[in-house]
Amino acid sequence: MTARLNPLAVSQKALAPMLAMENYLKNCGLEHSLMSLVKIRVSQINGCAYCLHMHTSEARAEGETEARIYLLDAWRESELYTPRERAALNWAETLTKISETHAPDADYAAATAQFSAQEMIDLSLAITNINAWNRLSIGFRAEHPHDHVKKAAA
Amino acid sequence: MTQRLNLFTAAPKAVEPLVALGPILDASTLEHSLMELVKIRASQINGCANCLHMHTADARKAGEREERIYLLDAWRESSMYTPRERAALAWTEALTKVAETHAPDEDFEALKAVFDEAEIGHLTILVGAINLWNRIAIGIRAEHPNDVKLKAAA
Repeated sequence: MTARLNPLAVSQKALAPMLAMENYLKNCGLEHSLMSLVKIRVSQINGCAYCLHMHTSEARAEGETEARIYLLDAWRESELYTPRERAALNWAETLTKISETHAPDADYAAATAQFSAQEMIDLSLAITNINAWNRLSIGFRAEHPHDHVKKAAA
Repeated sequence: MTQRLNLFTAAPKAVEPLVALGPILDASTLEHSLMELVKIRASQINGCANCLHMHTADARKAGEREERIYLLDAWRESSMYTPRERAALAWTEALTKVAETHAPDEDFEALKAVFDEAEIGHLTILVGAINLWNRIAIGIRAEHPNDVKLKAAA
């Protein structure tokens, strides 16, 4: 796999608002651990290696456990996640697969049972922003850093 | 989440050959690390927490690196996986989502470039077996050890 284009190098101007949004979200008050799980789950669905690398590294650095990341694809079948996390993950899946789900009332109700109106906006923006990053990274074939492992022998 | 049924007591004779298959597949020339990645990937797609717990723990014990598990959802977008692993993972996805993919010729041809016939046979049975375990474990709502521990602590 070869990177096609580095959007940050080509147009910092275009990416600045997305980065500013990330900065806002970092300080919006939603739990970092919850936000990381949301970003990882969305990146799993979209298959974004670059974002998975970034957000699993961040989550681990902030104290997230290996097991909660490994089981995230199957969070519905596990009790390792809090009711708030479950509501956020469900909403994240709904918005990520929106062309299939159309964001049903039941999912919205489950989310609003756990999150205030302000939190719903912040959470939804976090979900849409990571979906945007996933699409840019996959579309431009962004290469993730290799911390420990060299590229597999070709 | 409460486990619905214990298969080992409900259908012990039927479970026996399923369990016996494990060591037979382990004795093939397929790398242990590759077999674990295949089992984890199928379990990610099917959303099986029990199998994810078991096989990520097994993989880690056998020396697998965290990142290669974290990025597995997006293996196509990463260069951390070997050509043999990539062919095996593509075949795993083709057979796990067989109702959509119908196991295309390209995926089978890609296997022949890196595996011999015996390996393709064992790999194909392995993919079938983990899909079967995923369906059983999700169907009976099998609790993984972490959930059992959580409940005990509550």
